[in-house]
Amino acid sequence: MILKATELKKDFPRSGKSSNFFTAVQPVDLTVSSGEMTVITGKSGSGKSTLLNMLSGMLQPTSGKVTLDETDIYSLDEKTRALLRNEKTGLIPQGNTALLSLSVLENVLLPFVLYHKEEPPAARAKELLDKVGIAELMNEKPGELSGGEFRRMAVARALLMNPGILFADEPTAGLDSENTEAVLSLLRKAADSGAAVLLVTHEDDAAKYADRILTMDGGRLFDTGR
Amino acid sequence: MISLKNLPFKNLKGYSGRTAALIFFSALMSVAIFGGSLIIAGVRQGLNTVEARLGADIMVTPESAKNDFDAQTVLLQAEPGYFYMEKSKVDEIAKVDGVDLISPQVFMASTKAGCCSARLQMIAYDPATDFTIQPWIADTYTNGDMGLMDVVVGSDVTVYKDRTISFYDNDCHIVGQFDPTGSTLDSCVYMNFDTVKKLIDSSFVKGMNLYSEYDPDDVVSAVMVRVKPGADIEEVAANIQKQVSGVTTATSRNMVSGIGESLSRVAGTVGILIAAFGLVGILMTVLVFVMMINERKGEFEALKAVGADRKLMSGIVAKEAVMVNLAGGIIGIALSGMILIMFRSLFETLLGAGFVIPGPGVIALMAAAALLAVMVSAAVSSFAAVRRIGGKSL
Ligand SMILES: Nc1ncnc2c1ncn2[C@@H]1O[C@H](COP(=O)(O)OP(=O)(O)O)[C@@H](O)[C@H]1O
Ligand SMILES: [Mg+2]
Repeated sequence: MILKATELKKDFPRSGKSSNFFTAVQPVDLTVSSGEMTVITGKSGSGKSTLLNMLSGMLQPTSGKVTLDETDIYSLDEKTRALLRNEKTGLIPQGNTALLSLSVLENVLLPFVLYHKEEPPAARAKELLDKVGIAELMNEKPGELSGGEFRRMAVARALLMNPGILFADEPTAGLDSENTEAVLSLLRKAADSGAAVLLVTHEDDAAKYADRILTMDGGRLFDTGR
Repeated sequence: MISLKNLPFKNLKGYSGRTAALIFFSALMSVAIFGGSLIIAGVRQGLNTVEARLGADIMVTPESAKNDFDAQTVLLQAEPGYFYMEKSKVDEIAKVDGVDLISPQVFMASTKAGCCSARLQMIAYDPATDFTIQPWIADTYTNGDMGLMDVVVGSDVTVYKDRTISFYDNDCHIVGQFDPTGSTLDSCVYMNFDTVKKLIDSSFVKGMNLYSEYDPDDVVSAVMVRVKPGADIEEVAANIQKQVSGVTTATSRNMVSGIGESLSRVAGTVGILIAAFGLVGILMTVLVFVMMINERKGEFEALKAVGADRKLMSGIVAKEAVMVNLAGGIIGIALSGMILIMFRSLFETLLGAGFVIPGPGVIALMAAAALLAVMVSAAVSSFAAVRRIGGKSL
């Protein structure tokens, strides 16, 4: 699977100032391929999340294109694009996100139930929870999980549909070093088993797992040469 | 197991405190709308029927009756009235300026002991001139004619299988029964002059009539007056009192207005309460929903992350709103219905005469309207909530 960004740019409207908008992401060209783990680092506010959201089909760019294999994803209507995201991509959003009324297991099954009427694949979800090391917590509510456990659940959830590409926004923020290593090695494993992995972070921990490291600064993306 | 279908329910169950609050507010809303409109409709229906059944602008009664009787008493309270004046007064009244139609009536009280099936007020009309009672009978029964010993009874009068009711050893045939008015009219028995004459004769025979000095052919109890179009009712009433000796008048306004005013005050208060409760209900529902969206930001982020579009998320929120408001609405309707049935007599005392619980059709309509209102608030609150989700990226 190949994800390709061309001249991808995002302006946000700004209130009060002389210019009406400011550019959070300057035109970016980027290609991410299967089996490869790409890490984008950069200070807080440099535009990492904005770029990742555009790449993952969550945020309409101001200009430029994102193609997933041969599909220009922003030429699709919202519903088709949502379906494509559901089937082909996995996303670990910034922060702790989950449906708090559901169990951990049900949260992991969430991507499946949105567009399927069949019995959800509980066995696969349990297997994933086992892989991320929180199988014994599957009947708990997410509210009872620690930060590290929460993030592992999000990883399992993102992997459920066997995505060709995996996006992660600060997946290790707020985690201790042990949990950080655990989450990063899970993402590395996903890349090794064939997924394209794109990770953004303002910390340096991910460097040793990355195939390629890019840096963002003031909305511009720089290749650091690795 | 989890599915998209049961997701809204699971969400509601997971946030049981918030769900309870939402159900409470929508129940409050439906109690206000359903219970309140039930009371208003009951009052209005009662008043309208009393007024319509009265049918006259002015009721003229003998002055002697004034002390122990006033028009409201006979019409709207429990004690049957019992008094007569000379028939010659009818012609005198007819001559007064502004009088259009007149028709005499004879009232007679039955006593339960000895003579009669029940203690009831009998109202007899003159078929030749009557304009107040016959239209009602005609409205209720295609054939408005009543023969000798035929009676129509108010809603509180018990009608037995054989459809007869006996007064002073005379069996009368019940040809029909009126709808309730919530007033003493409900325990009246209506008949024509020929019938009442026969009953009065019988009461003399039985020695049960205090007014034995009157010849039943020469007396009436009251004269119903309709004024000419455009004439001032109060003025005509004053003229009658001035020009005809020994009579007193009551106008339809002061007959019904005593209760009418206090009832419309009640209805007004209830109306304001309905509006207030309804508004609080809607506001709180919208508020709770919007707050909920902020509180559940992480939940919608999760849904978005796994590939939900705005429509799917809106659907979940809307279903939650509908479920919660439907539950609240039904609880509210059941509750107000129960309260109304349980405290029916208390309401009737509180509101005085003229309160009638509306028929099942009207009640069903109001229940539907109350449900519609809570549904509208569900729609409004989920719309407001979804707007907040939609505002964030995607
Ligand atoms: N929805 C938005 N509306 C306006 N400005 C935004 C929005 N999202 C992000 N920004 C701005 O864009 C810049 C980049 O933000 P972001 O991509 O979140 O940075 P990072 O993830 O690197 O911390 C910041 O200045 C931020 O304030
Ligand atoms: Mg960020």
